[in-house]
Amino acid sequence: MQRTKVVLMAAVCLGAALRIAFLSPMGVAQTDHDNNVLVFEGGRILSITSPPIEHGVLVIKGGKIVAVGEQGKVQIPAGATVRDVTGKIVMPGIVDSHSHIGIDPNPTVSDSQDANEGSGPIQPALRALDAIDPADPNIRMATAGGITTANIMPGSGNVMGGQTAYVKLRGTTIEQMLIPGTIGGMKMANGTNPKGYGTRGQAPMTRMEEAALARGIFEKAQEYKTKWDAYNKAIAAGDKTAKAPDRDLGLDAVAQILDGKRIVHNHTHRADDVMTVIRLADESHYRVVVHHGTESCDVADELAKRHIGVTFTMIDAPGGKPETINFSISCPARLEKAGVKVAFNTDDPITNSRLLLRSAALAVRGGMSEDAAIKGLTIYPAEMLDLQSRVGSLEPGKDADFIVLSGAPLSVYTKVLETWIEGEKVFDRSNPIDLRYATGGFNVISRYPPLQGGGQ
Amino acid sequence: MALAVVLSAHAQNFAVTAEHLYTMDAGPQGGPGLVLIRAGKIEDVQMGAGIAVPNGYQAIHGAYVTPGLIDAYTSTGVSGAYNIPADQDQDESTDPNTADVNVRDSLNPEDKLYQYVNAYGVTTMQVTPGPRNPIAGAAGIFKTAGPNSPFRTVDELAVRLSSAMVFNLGDTPKETYGSNHKAPVTRMKTAEMIREALLQARQYQEKWDRWKEEKSDPGKRPALDVKLAALAGVVSGKTPAIFNVYRADDIDTAIRIGTEFHLKYMLASVTEGYLIRDKIRQAGVPCLVGAVMQPFEDLQTSNATYENAALLQQAGIPIAIMTGYVGYVPKSRVLLFETAIAAANGLGVEPALRAITISAAKILGIDDKTGSLAKGKDADVVVFDGDPFEYTSHVQQVMVQGEVTYQRGQ
Repeated sequence: MQRTKVVLMAAVCLGAALRIAFLSPMGVAQTDHDNNVLVFEGGRILSITSPPIEHGVLVIKGGKIVAVGEQGKVQIPAGATVRDVTGKIVMPGIVDSHSHIGIDPNPTVSDSQDANEGSGPIQPALRALDAIDPADPNIRMATAGGITTANIMPGSGNVMGGQTAYVKLRGTTIEQMLIPGTIGGMKMANGTNPKGYGTRGQAPMTRMEEAALARGIFEKAQEYKTKWDAYNKAIAAGDKTAKAPDRDLGLDAVAQILDGKRIVHNHTHRADDVMTVIRLADESHYRVVVHHGTESCDVADELAKRHIGVTFTMIDAPGGKPETINFSISCPARLEKAGVKVAFNTDDPITNSRLLLRSAALAVRGGMSEDAAIKGLTIYPAEMLDLQSRVGSLEPGKDADFIVLSGAPLSVYTKVLETWIEGEKVFDRSNPIDLRYATGGFNVISRYPPLQGGGQ
Repeated sequence: MALAVVLSAHAQNFAVTAEHLYTMDAGPQGGPGLVLIRAGKIEDVQMGAGIAVPNGYQAIHGAYVTPGLIDAYTSTGVSGAYNIPADQDQDESTDPNTADVNVRDSLNPEDKLYQYVNAYGVTTMQVTPGPRNPIAGAAGIFKTAGPNSPFRTVDELAVRLSSAMVFNLGDTPKETYGSNHKAPVTRMKTAEMIREALLQARQYQEKWDRWKEEKSDPGKRPALDVKLAALAGVVSGKTPAIFNVYRADDIDTAIRIGTEFHLKYMLASVTEGYLIRDKIRQAGVPCLVGAVMQPFEDLQTSNATYENAALLQQAGIPIAIMTGYVGYVPKSRVLLFETAIAAANGLGVEPALRAITISAAKILGIDDKTGSLAKGKDADVVVFDGDPFEYTSHVQQVMVQGEVTYQRGQ
């Protein structure tokens, strides 16, 4: 008790210590680095890509998963540190396919809000990574909710809002957060939000213009790409006189969409808006994920036959703007029945990152299968970000990103106990500072009154 | 067909059996039991397993049965789902003192959210003006209407009109007016405007009292002032004041004003209440604890904690839970969901249920009519297929005054 108090005081007094604690939490065996082998034994393991293991073993080393299997059937390497997690649940770290943590930081004050570049509706050259604050407490709160990987996106005020960032929720710089080898996706939006320009007498004022602007940038990028393809072909053929076309930062990024290297993440709610997303993607042959998709279940067959996935934002009630008026918790279930893969996202700050498990649970309340709901937190969003070879399931060779839960993943009474990213513990509910990122109140830890029953 | 069943259910007698009956009346909670409903009222309650359903009652069975839920403070009904100027009638932000406005004149029971919250078990709610005006106007307590309900007028839905006068402190009033260089620009001014208005109302009341006492001639009758007349009820203790507050220092300001004018008052939202709970307890003020799943929209809510309700309740402060006002998507919070988070974060299931049934009814002064399943009270009942707070449970049926307003699957 006394020791806890000392630790708390030190953290509060030293300011920066909060961040240091994030990087190297207190206690022992918090990391598998230096080639330590860490073993989590006895818990129920949800590997996602194979059936649940009632009494499982998870072996990690060097930031990667080494083995997953049944207790007694997995070789435990000599010298390994073994953690008994009997009675707990171990599952992959949650992948949030749509978030604004770091770019719309907490607290919400206008100076720090950098998601929407409201100076023009087509902004392909913008990169979210240039505006993300790794010190945003929302990032730490997200780890308290079990999120390990996020797609941090520009906002939906623009038709083409900018390049998204695929990150792990660790580190003090964006470079440490970015997943190596990834270039992110492209944020697009249609429907209500980009029409905000219309209120200022600027384009777009209508859905027609939104689509026309989107179509225009893809046509321009196609032309750009054709020039560059011809140039690259000439160079490859040994033509030393070939002149390089002018570079364009924005068109470079859109050309990557046309090359299949960058996925479009399209904010869209109404069913006819979803069809516009599909129409544009069909025309220019690019890969797209439907984001929010409030009425996407009304055109589920159109999505299913094109293998387009939906990452759904589970809000608690309809409305707040006209395009979400037909919101229903049953939409994910209807998409599942039609054969559409569904992920869940926070759209933080719209829903809080500590509660993404809850979003999947509400989909089950709305009729979805538990299996599809859990996949919608893990492997499906990983696929929507082209990250399925690294994250989204517990398999040998994948990143050691996992969470330890106190009980069934979709219960209100379950707590995220620990969150691990690439073999490092980034959240521990038994740590009194981390606890306040789970409950709230992290700015006032020294004054926070004790809860009878402990709050664990 | 479905409609016909519902309409015919209107005047029916029901026998509701439950594996886990939470009457929220005196006695043990959560055991098996039976509730008999006749003519819109609770006719009888019997605890125990295997009680036979008497003849002449339509049988309803649920895993969990509770009283209808009470949302102690919400803008649902006056702040519509579309969130466009046409359906936003909660904030008359043309004047920081709108003591003379009343939610009665804005309430739209046809709004989608009014029906939506009923389907999640809310049968009674105190509808309040929005967060912008320091003196925002009169709240009212109303029954909710479900998607299966026939239209009822605001007066037919009313449990109590002018149930409280709402005062807003903190960030929002000064942001509303200050950005246009109008008062209030600061918290100081918000407090001063409220104190000044209450002082005037006291003098206004005294003037009228004197005139009545002296039986003065009609020519000397004091001039009528509708704002001061509305506030006179507050200073005389007839109308409770509700201070909608977030930061601890704003809570302290509310207590200071409440004490100065000897108000009958309560606190709403109370985001940082847990940091000043001893003072709240000493002041003897009930708290309507705000939603915790709201986005961190402003500075004043950045210390919100899921444990606020538990910490206040453990300090001995009477609590209810409320959903309040929401400015964007989603346009309302769901009382059941917000309370579930409180239940799972230190409050516990039974105290959490209490906070949205009998405790809320007592704080609002409507416990003679609703808030528990007790003989003679309104038949406001919610039937669940599992633990009411579990994410994956369902509301099977909602009854308002013996009328089935929501039936799952219809």
